[in-house]
Amino acid sequence: MDLRLTDEQEMLRDALTRFIQECYSFEQRRAIVAGGQGFSAEHWRTFADLGWLALGLPEEAGGIPSSFIEPALVAEAFGSALVLEPYASNIVLTSRILDRADNATLRHEALSAMTEGKLRVALAHSEQQARYELDSVRTTARPDRTGYVLHGTKFLVLDGPSAHKLVVSALLAGSIVLFLLDRHTPGLKVYPYRLLDDTLAADVVLEDVHATDAEILTRTDVVALLEEARDRFILAKVAETLGGMERVLQISGEYARSRSQFGQPLFKFQATQHRLAEMFVEVQETRSILYCGLANIDSGTPSRRRAVSAAKVVAANAGRIVGGLGIQLHGGMGMTEEYSVGHYFKRFITTEKLCGDTDYHLARLAAA
Amino acid sequence: MNFGFSPEDDAFRAEVRAFIRAHLPPDVALDVHHWYNPKLSNYRRWQRILSERGWGAPHWPKEYGGSDWSPVRKHIFMQEIYAADAPDAGWQGMFMLAPVLIEFGSQAQRERFLPPMLRGEELWCQGFSEPGAGSDLANLKTSARLEGDEYVITGQKIWTSDAVHCDWGFFLVRTDSTVKPQRGLSFILVPTNAPGLTFRPIHSIDARSELNEAFLEQVRVPKENLVGEPGMGWTYAKFLLEKERTTSAFLYFNQRQFARAKAIASQIRVNDVRLIDTPSFAQKLARVEADLMALEWSVLRILAGEKNRHNLDAVVSALKIRGSEMQQRVTDLQIEALGPMATRRYADAFVPGDSPSEGPDWPPYTIGPANLFLNTRAATIYGGSREIQKNIIAKLVFGA
Repeated sequence: MDLRLTDEQEMLRDALTRFIQECYSFEQRRAIVAGGQGFSAEHWRTFADLGWLALGLPEEAGGIPSSFIEPALVAEAFGSALVLEPYASNIVLTSRILDRADNATLRHEALSAMTEGKLRVALAHSEQQARYELDSVRTTARPDRTGYVLHGTKFLVLDGPSAHKLVVSALLAGSIVLFLLDRHTPGLKVYPYRLLDDTLAADVVLEDVHATDAEILTRTDVVALLEEARDRFILAKVAETLGGMERVLQISGEYARSRSQFGQPLFKFQATQHRLAEMFVEVQETRSILYCGLANIDSGTPSRRRAVSAAKVVAANAGRIVGGLGIQLHGGMGMTEEYSVGHYFKRFITTEKLCGDTDYHLARLAAA
Repeated sequence: MNFGFSPEDDAFRAEVRAFIRAHLPPDVALDVHHWYNPKLSNYRRWQRILSERGWGAPHWPKEYGGSDWSPVRKHIFMQEIYAADAPDAGWQGMFMLAPVLIEFGSQAQRERFLPPMLRGEELWCQGFSEPGAGSDLANLKTSARLEGDEYVITGQKIWTSDAVHCDWGFFLVRTDSTVKPQRGLSFILVPTNAPGLTFRPIHSIDARSELNEAFLEQVRVPKENLVGEPGMGWTYAKFLLEKERTTSAFLYFNQRQFARAKAIASQIRVNDVRLIDTPSFAQKLARVEADLMALEWSVLRILAGEKNRHNLDAVVSALKIRGSEMQQRVTDLQIEALGPMATRRYADAFVPGDSPSEGPDWPPYTIGPANLFLNTRAATIYGGSREIQKNIIAKLVFGA
């Protein structure tokens, strides 16, 4: 076992740190939120130029093959600044689905465009009744003369509003299949909204949407494929939470030093010291469970499930403690939209409720 | 000891419930249901209805429009108000200022201010905290200097809830900087339209903006607006915050939000089973319910004037700690029930009953819980933070 980063990984981390320092102060982030697009297209181009959108993707599509450590480093750095750009939903989630798809033509075209930063793809799979179950799909694809007609409603399509194409799941003759559809396909409507963490999601309504055979992305073992890709996405979100928590720890420590009440810095009160120490413990445990996840992410289904569910549960709990105590320590300031600490809490809570909450993952862990 | 409600109490509950059902406007109740802190125009409407019935301020002495109800009946009344999603927004005036005016104010102040407060015509905000004086309230800097018949006030306040919609504010100001910090403070009443007084809304993480900064630049008020004695502000503020803490169990709020968590959990199905019927969620509800039952009896013990062998202020601090944490737990249950549907951001501008945006409908019960969950992060901060309450207990019970 060697837990040191390689030189290349160190360089990646340094580049990420520089980007965050130069381009992603809390004020710069606020400006992106105020722009209403949910992300900055300029930053997305920068990510492509720096090769971050190619990490972990196949070489023949312009990718840079890597372990999952590289995407995790990106996610952790992005988490520290609450980056809004749809990195994990594209480069960890949908690119993985594309990479493992049957349709070689679609796969190659889409992945090549994604690594260049020219194409963003969102997963339109969840439906309201499903809660977190991956096999609950009511959207239908009915064969007709020219191909298929799709009907249904998808919800919580993460980063849907900024996507050019959607991976849409539908029931075809009793099995779930995935289509890759252009967002401007007639009959397909995207209804955007904001989430608590200021990222955008969408509901997608499909009414008489015509699709051809060539738009079928994959029809083999779709649920297993989705589950594996979702596990990677979850682990990236765990890394993101970790990055965010490290930052909350830093912000809180600085605030406790600078804020005085009763004639001394908050930092001098033992109650404050203990709170900061409790937060520190949570951050340590989350880094450990992330490593556990990284060690198992490419292993067989049962151990991957166990590790990812454990990581999700540990990170969710830690996020609540660190984010919650972070707000408490800041007092009223922590409640304001103009100050960063509350936004970290909102990101942690949003992450907790997506892709399976704690109950869901405890059950999955117990069953694995 | 007699722990029961009498048949007369039960009849009283039925009477209150029937009145609310007949008179609470449905749009007002819906506003409270979704946004927990309703538009103040709605509060004014409802307060007028209550005061016409003679129920505008049950906890005040009879001669000022209060009721002669027993503590148990006041408890029943509040439970029914909350259970029906009726507004309870005017508490800064009704529960904080009014007791101070009644105890320490002049007859002229009581006659001037209590009747319009009772009818919901004048709403009050509170100006205590300052950027440099939160938990450390005695450290506040805003000053009031006597010039002839007027006080001239200069300084800054923060976290002034609802200020831009209120008519008056009660402020804690420094009238003497030569004495011990607590001795130099006074309690003064300022109209919110006074020249030199401006407010800046503070946007909060729950997508609301009811908090404000208040800037006082040479604000002049007649010296009659000072309550009680100059230099006694600290004593009055403590008196008032203790009143606040008695209500800071937020029992009725907590009971309402717990009921709402159950209602949400009974409407959501997971693999065709109602969430409320799944063992894991049922146990989660039960765990909170157990503590909520204890909280209710903690309130009842105080209401019934139980002779506690411990210092009552310490008991009240315990109530504040548990009541504020309970607010976070009951709203947490709501977002636990919502699961992924808790992640959607609903903003203040949304009018209840309208569709929040184009697109597929989300169930109406998804509107509000996440905002409320975020809002209740403040419960362990305001009105004396959790840390301050623990210090009080350590000091009063253990002599720390």
